[in-house]
Amino acid sequence: MPSRQARLDRHRGWTAAFLLPSVGLLAVFVVVPIGLTIWLSLHTWSTQTPFSSAVYRGLGNFRELLADGPVGRDFRQALRNTFVYAGLSIAAILPLSLAFGLFIHRVAIRGTGVLRALLFSTYMVPTIAVAIVWSKLYSPSEGPFNQILGWVGVSRQPWLSSPDTALRSLVLLNVWQQVGYFTVLVVAGLTQIPDSVYEAAALDGARGPRLLARITLPLLRRTLLFNVVIALINAIQVFEPVAALTQGGPVGSTNVLTYHIRRVGIERSQGGLGSAMAVTLLLSLVVVVSLVFAVNRRGYEA
Amino acid sequence: MQRVGLATVLVVACVAVAFPLVWMMLGSLKTPAESLHTPPVWWPAHPSAEAYRTVARVVSVGRSFRNSAIIAGVTTLGILVTSLMAGYVFAKYRFRGRNALFAAVVATMFLPPIVTLIPLYRMIGWLGVDGRLIGVILPNLANAFGIFLMRQFIKGVPDELIDAARLDGASELRIVFRVVAPTVMPAIAALTLFAFVYHWNSYLWPLTVLQGNTDQYPIVLSLGRLLSYTRSAQNTNQVMAGAALAVLPPLVLFVVLQRFFVRTLARTGLTG
Amino acid sequence: MTKIRRGRALAAGFLVAGLALSGGVASATTPPAGGENVKISFLTHWGPDTVALLQSAVDAYHQDHPNVTVEIKAVPFGDLLTTVRAQAGGSAAPTIAGIYDLWLPELVRDGVVAPAPDAVSQDVGSNWGASTASAATVAGTVYGVPNEIDLYALNYNKKLFADAGITAPPATWDELLADAQKLTKRDGDTISQQGFGLINSWAAGVVHPFASLLASNGGSLITDGKPTLDSKQATETFALYENLVKGVKVTDPTMGTADANTAGPFLDNFVSGKTAMIIMANWWESALKSGMGDQAFADIATAPIPVGPSGDGPHSISYSWMTVVSAKASAAEQAAAWDFLSWLNGPTSGKSGASAMADILQSMGILPSRTSDIAAYTDRLNRPFMEGYVAQLANAKPFPIVVGGQEFTEALQKQIESIEFGQASAADAQKTAQADAESILAKAGGATAGTTAGTSGG
Repeated sequence: MPSRQARLDRHRGWTAAFLLPSVGLLAVFVVVPIGLTIWLSLHTWSTQTPFSSAVYRGLGNFRELLADGPVGRDFRQALRNTFVYAGLSIAAILPLSLAFGLFIHRVAIRGTGVLRALLFSTYMVPTIAVAIVWSKLYSPSEGPFNQILGWVGVSRQPWLSSPDTALRSLVLLNVWQQVGYFTVLVVAGLTQIPDSVYEAAALDGARGPRLLARITLPLLRRTLLFNVVIALINAIQVFEPVAALTQGGPVGSTNVLTYHIRRVGIERSQGGLGSAMAVTLLLSLVVVVSLVFAVNRRGYEA
Repeated sequence: MQRVGLATVLVVACVAVAFPLVWMMLGSLKTPAESLHTPPVWWPAHPSAEAYRTVARVVSVGRSFRNSAIIAGVTTLGILVTSLMAGYVFAKYRFRGRNALFAAVVATMFLPPIVTLIPLYRMIGWLGVDGRLIGVILPNLANAFGIFLMRQFIKGVPDELIDAARLDGASELRIVFRVVAPTVMPAIAALTLFAFVYHWNSYLWPLTVLQGNTDQYPIVLSLGRLLSYTRSAQNTNQVMAGAALAVLPPLVLFVVLQRFFVRTLARTGLTG
Repeated sequence: MTKIRRGRALAAGFLVAGLALSGGVASATTPPAGGENVKISFLTHWGPDTVALLQSAVDAYHQDHPNVTVEIKAVPFGDLLTTVRAQAGGSAAPTIAGIYDLWLPELVRDGVVAPAPDAVSQDVGSNWGASTASAATVAGTVYGVPNEIDLYALNYNKKLFADAGITAPPATWDELLADAQKLTKRDGDTISQQGFGLINSWAAGVVHPFASLLASNGGSLITDGKPTLDSKQATETFALYENLVKGVKVTDPTMGTADANTAGPFLDNFVSGKTAMIIMANWWESALKSGMGDQAFADIATAPIPVGPSGDGPHSISYSWMTVVSAKASAAEQAAAWDFLSWLNGPTSGKSGASAMADILQSMGILPSRTSDIAAYTDRLNRPFMEGYVAQLANAKPFPIVVGGQEFTEALQKQIESIEFGQASAADAQKTAQADAESILAKAGGATAGTTAGTSGG
């Protein structure tokens, strides 16, 4: 088809011109830094010095992360904390957003739109503001949470002040902020299920929990999978509450990777070591996301 | 009966979700004595805007708002322009390696920013734009999500429309911004809200780039600074006032644009 | 040089190619063209009230030196080190930065800070006490002008002491444990008033009181550049912590949490009378005053650190702050910066023989360090809260300043906290702390082989 070929040729210049700004920016500010991170992870490099002053040390940084020194212990704790935080967040967000989504979609009473707007609005506000407000909600003596717990006979909780509860308190804050976003995605998923499917299922006598398990959940599968991946990526990025409230403590219980890598790579100026941590995070993330997809595929085949 | 039960659930859910932000607003109107009180005072007896005045003075709220608006505004504009152009190419042009390139672009969407933070911050210093708003803005002018979103929507624009414009002699540039863009307005509105709010709220990157240059601080960083000036619990009213000020603009924008946002999110979440 | 220029040209070209819309911002932030006027900046972590005082000093200086403009930048303490370091990697470095002495060796190693000119070196050498001056010196070269000095003491609430029938503060660890038991109130299993408070989640707030108790037990964290956390004195100190939390149970660690701004529950609980005793530094006077009001603050008193079984007397831990000048600044900027600092810390800039810096520090209740400033402020340092600190200055030992000091402090912090929260026994925590310290200091020392870092141990 010569006319098509001609059209393609005519557009070749435009292809480059239209792509250059975005692809160029992404190349310079995403791809090049990823390459540099990987390269730096194999070097000893003080972050305040030029890249050229990096000294090659092979896999030495990675060995240090695996070894039994303070560097390795702190890193592995931060990695563990990060994935525990992500796991707990997902474990709470997934069922909650599903429940909210079903409620908003299925319940025909006025006011569900208000709930949806309220839920979503929490996702719109700056995390630093959320962190600050929640730190006051958690305040052991002046905060309302312990007061409310007191009314129902539950003893005072230490919230952010104990290594047993601090990370979970940060998870709670995260769930509150993010659940609305995922609820909207669930509602969207539900909207795409045609009424005819429900009608057919109703003819077969399925209703209530069986309808949910047999029809709704399988059809929502893609949405839920997407939600798990996005919630994971979001959870990895937690920074503000840790930086403003806990500084990773007590006893390192809230030290998460975004905070820790910044502390090592910039504050302590150990750029090579920090880069090795970043590379390890990236690899772990690839493994975890692949696992999520693999499990999902197995589920389909079964 | 069932309706009453459901309505109760709805009200409880609304109250629970709204509680932290309501507590923030109430807290910002309390007096220092009320802020310090144990057990906590729920309702300020004599609501006072004093805390807002103090905060406005201490962290120069006006300048912080201006900086936030520049960062979020310029970045959003940049993202809209780059995303429209790239989205158009990925949706309507055919060229070798298109799918691979698009996949690579989309992959960057899932990259946690901390992975590139160390070299990126060093690069920004090397380019000589650290400590300035331009350093905050520059690396974010293109955005994978924006490109993805625009491609999804522009794919749905009929080829006939574009061909007709070409027959009329319109340049490709004109086609993107004058013919295609108006047909994907809901997506543009959603991307505007998404990008603006995201960059208004963004904390780690401006903190890394602007460190110390408090003149250039957006409101979220000024809020972080405010904390260190209000050590004791009696100043909680100021902290809450600062938080309320930072929360308000994105919230207002959300209320204005929410119908586009929810609808668009619905479409991308599933057709992706 | 060419490489850098090409980089910038490329960046600029990229900018234009990418989007013309950023032009307005770029031009608004382009530095002004050079002239005889010098513009320098001063980075600090001080709050707005203190910054206002610094601003008036700057204005006074500007009157006499109209060609020099000083711009003040302020960040929270938690961001200060990152800011000093980050900016050294870029072009927006502050000309002058106020830093914590522990950070100096690494900033010198990385070439972030400039050595002081001879006149300033001599000034520091002759007008400051030897230990303070040594904290501003690395390998014989002076890098900063010291200003504030901070030290630790036991703060206690006289009202709670009277309620418990105790007349004098504890002088020994045994008395500390006995008094703390009398001062602890329980509500079922939970502590509603703790006899003795321990801080967590803030490195200096955890490690400095520990080091003070260790020093008052005859030990030290580091001796001759080597960690000595395996000493008998250290064993006893670690055991004391375990005893406070698990033995006599007079400390509730969850009441001692600090946030990124060195405030939070530990401060709130002391302010509200739920903590009877705590070891803290003099600078928190202003925080206590504003939280408690003058009347309740009058109940707070200061006493020497209680002495341990192996100690020879109370020893506090002290540390200092100093102002340094960026090595990245131009020669003219550096010269202007040192001149400004000499004036700011000199005897002519303040009231009645004191320096302007001393006036600023005193507004926060912080001790000045220049010999003539201490003399000029003798009268006002005699107020009850501060007096107890001033009296301990002579017995104070500077916190060891070594390369890797911050990392060492954070590693020790973690082990102390793990005892507080029952995650490790005192013996295990001590073993880990010593091993960690050895590995951190060995690594930091290895990294600096050749540049030699000064270690001013005890």
